[in-house]
This record gives sequence, C-alpha cells and structure tokens, in this order.
Amino acid sequence: MVSAYTPPVQTLIDELGRLPGIGPKSAQRIAFHLLKLPSADVARLAHAINDAKDKVRFCERCFNVAEGALCPICADDRRDATVVCVVEESRDIVALERTGEFRGRYHVLLGAMNPLEGIGPEQLKIRELLTRIDAEGITEVILCTNPNTEGEVTAMYLARQLQPLGLTVTRIASGLPVGGDLEYADELTLGRALEGRRPVDDG
Amino acid sequence: MIVEHLELIDIRNYETATFELRPGTTVVLGDNGHGKTNLAEALAYLATLSSFRGVPSDALVRLGADRGVIRATIRDDDGRQSLIEAELTVGGRNRVQVNRQRLPRVRDLLGTMRVTVFSPDDLVIVKGGPGDRRRFLDDTLVALAVKYDAIRLEVDRVVKQRNTVLKSAKSSSTNHGDLGITLDVWDSKLSDVGGRLAHARATLVDRLGPMVQQAYRDLAGTATDIELGYVAPWRDVGLETALAHARDHDMRRGVTSVGPHRDDLTVVIDQMPSRTHASQGEQRTLALSLRLAAHRLVTERTDSAPVLVLDDVLSELDRGRAGALLDHLPAGQVVITSATDVPGRVDHTVRIVDGQLA
Repeated sequence: MVSAYTPPVQTLIDELGRLPGIGPKSAQRIAFHLLKLPSADVARLAHAINDAKDKVRFCERCFNVAEGALCPICADDRRDATVVCVVEESRDIVALERTGEFRGRYHVLLGAMNPLEGIGPEQLKIRELLTRIDAEGITEVILCTNPNTEGEVTAMYLARQLQPLGLTVTRIASGLPVGGDLEYADELTLGRALEGRRPVDDG
Repeated sequence: MIVEHLELIDIRNYETATFELRPGTTVVLGDNGHGKTNLAEALAYLATLSSFRGVPSDALVRLGADRGVIRATIRDDDGRQSLIEAELTVGGRNRVQVNRQRLPRVRDLLGTMRVTVFSPDDLVIVKGGPGDRRRFLDDTLVALAVKYDAIRLEVDRVVKQRNTVLKSAKSSSTNHGDLGITLDVWDSKLSDVGGRLAHARATLVDRLGPMVQQAYRDLAGTATDIELGYVAPWRDVGLETALAHARDHDMRRGVTSVGPHRDDLTVVIDQMPSRTHASQGEQRTLALSLRLAAHRLVTERTDSAPVLVLDDVLSELDRGRAGALLDHLPAGQVVITSATDVPGRVDHTVRIVDGQLA
C-alpha cells in the first residue's frame, strides 16, 4: 500500500506503532498530536526518552531498572538477602513494593517463556538467577510470575531448575481480590481460589 | 430466556432494521438472498461472539460501513429485562454493553444471552473433519458453562506454544537438557488444561448419547440404534505420559500429535460409522439430532431454554421429517427462517424483503 503521508510523518507513525499497546490508529493520533505541539514540548519529550535511555540501566544483580550498578533495593543492606522474589518485569517490583509485605530481594526475568514470540529460557535471566543462589546464600525463592499460561509455565520451569538445589521454592497464591464480591469473580479465578482454600485459624 | 426485540444497524445487508419477536414460534419469511440467515447470524453472534458461518466478526459489518451494531432486549425467566449491545468495528476493537454498561472484555458477554442455531451447515458435524465435531462439543460445553471458553482457548494456545518449541528444537542446536525441561513444563501444562477439556468432552458425549438417540427416533420415526463415542486414545495412559511417548516423533515432525486438539467424536448409526456409511438424509437427520440433544441438555442443566433458531433447515428435510421436527420442538422461544410457508403452529410471522421488513 502506498503511504498517504510524507515520509517523515509515516516514519513517526511506524515507530510509534511498534510500541506495546499502540495500534495503527493510536499511532496516527499520537503522531498528529506531536506535530501540533510547540517545538519545546516535543524537545522535552525527546530529551526525556534519551535521558532515561542514557542514565537508566539494569541492576547488575537483579535486572531491575537502576541508575547505578545496583538498583536501590539491592543496594539496601537492611533487606533480607536470603529470600528472593522472581518477577517478569521491573514494574511488578513496584506493585509488590507497594504492599510493604516483602523485605527480601528481587530477580527480574525480563519476560516470560513465550515460544511464539521467540522467548525461551535462554532469553530470560534464568542462568543469572541460578548463579545468585550460592553466591548470595539464598534459601527461599518465591515465584511471582503472572498467573497466565506463560507465567505459569515459566514458574514450573524455574521450580524444576531450583528444587534440586535444596531450596524452599514457593509460588504466589492466586485467588480473589480483597474487597471484591464473589458474585463478580470470573469462574476460573473462583475455581482457583477454591482449590487453594485454607483451614480457618483458631487464633 | 427470550429475545423481545432485535435491532440491526449496518449489519450484513441491513442498514437499519428492527424486529419484534414474541414468546413461542416466530417465522421469518423471505426469498433467498434477502437476509434471513443474516438475521439468524446476528442473533447468534450476541450469544457466542462468533459467526456460525465461521467468518471473523468484520464480515458481519455491512459492506461500505466501518461499524455495525447489534442490539437486543432480552427477558429472562423471572421477568428481568436487559439490553445487550455489540458494536463491531472493521479492523478495530469490538465493544459490548449490557444495560448501557460497557463490559471490560468482549468475552464477558458470554452466558448473558443463549441461542442454539440449527443451520444446513451443521451437516459438517457428521460429514466434516474431526475439527468440526470438536467445535460442536466445545460450543456445547461453553453453552453449559462459560469457563470452558477460557479452557478451550488456553488449550489452543498451549498447543501452539509447544509446537513452536518443537519446531525450534529441529532447527537450533539448543542445549538438549534445557530443551527437555522446557518441553516437560509445556507437556505438564497441556496435560493439565487438555486433560480437563477432554474429561469435560467425554462426560458431555456420555450424556448426549441417549438424548441423540431419542431425538433421532422422534425425527425419523424409526427405532434406529445410535451410539456416540469420544475418541481420545491417550486417555488410557494420561496425557503427560502420552506426550512423553510421542516426544521423539513430535520433535521430528514439529507438531504435537496427541492431545485434545486431535480427538474426535464418533457417531455410529446401526453399527456403521455415520460419516462414511449413512445416506445424505440420515446424515442431515443425525446432525439435527445432535443439535437438538445439545439444546435439550443445555436447557436441562441450566434450567432455562436458550432461543432456538432454525435457519433454513426445513427445506433440507423431507416433509415427514420436517413435520416431525416441528412436532417435537422443545419448549421455549423458536425462530424459524424459511423461504416458504411453514406448516404447524406459528405464533408470529415476519416478512423480509431486501434487508427491510415488508
């Protein structure tokens, strides 16, 4: 198909369209929005992108985003080094940190096993996780990958690799959102929550 | 549950059209090519979120329009009315609303409205390939319990993922220990979701068997012996073991050779396989009996009859069987589309000419 736009505009649309969650229509809308903005605003956005890309890198230990060699969590020695929570993406750390429930360290896989997208165990930071176990004296690994097909399979793979090392390996529970109504829960979530039921504590 | 009102905007050959439906039997009369099947398709779309003609939802939008709307007012058995709307966008995201509230995902609509369609295409359940028969079973499971929609989608996805691993194993020189574990975990996942789907299908086939037999007798008026069977040889050893046995073979071929995505439903009529040995008339009657049995089972299990749509089915049957079908229609709302007058009890008639009410 011949493009209806002048080449610079088409290139901008194409580049925006490659971002996650941006379809062709959104890419078009954002491109024309950018073209309408004052130059200074566009420059500020371009600078923010370049600046973040220049300054931010992955933590050498856990692959969280970091400004220095280590991310703030790995650099904090008050955190429990023996427990590691494995997540798919850095943004999952933000979510877990908001709970204030976890005082250990993290390990970011940078994705989940997804053969259709060309992601196997080799493309994830799994080897790096295995070398951390002895080096840091890790005794428990909590698998916090997403409760979808790919996340579950990744957790199973990690469990298979970690269990022979004699660690405690646990999987985050899945179930009902707190404050929600049973009536509105989907069947699969409710089914899982039933499977994972617990005896009621006396105390 | 009944549909009281159906409105189509830019759907197939309809620019705008509104149909009032009544409880009981409504006959939609119109010449071929004037939009009878399109009406049935739109009604069924709200129930299944797919076209029974097996085309993507884009195809339902009128040529030249970029979006179409299907809107229905339904009334459930305790009298509660709901307004259901689906907006189909060509090359874009579809949206659905219930009582003017947008649902987060289109598939959340499943289970709100329930429709059983009989169409001449149902012949593929008997004559077509195993995939056609699996679709019949899975559609019935979804009508029984919405969770099976997610399970069937997950099985499809896991099979695709496993096949991709198998194909990459053929080409790359990946470390074989790691590849073994990768396949182990995909096998384990497939065995979990696939095992559940196959168990549900096999249970369904057991329940349908006697009901199909009864439906066939009602239609044909003869004591014909019909047996259904769910064919899944791997179920003797369990899917995980079967996948392990097949692994070398699968790695050479680059596809998953066992599992619920390869299973089949056999329909045996008087000790003969119906796909190859039944006459065309017997095959049509069988297909109809399978649908009728599924409809009865769903009615029984969910305590409420789905809307039954007979799309141009009568013309395919001989007079005796067409009459028997009309005599044995289950209770509930029925919509019959036809090019010619329908014998038997009709509560309401709608005429269509060229995408317009006449």
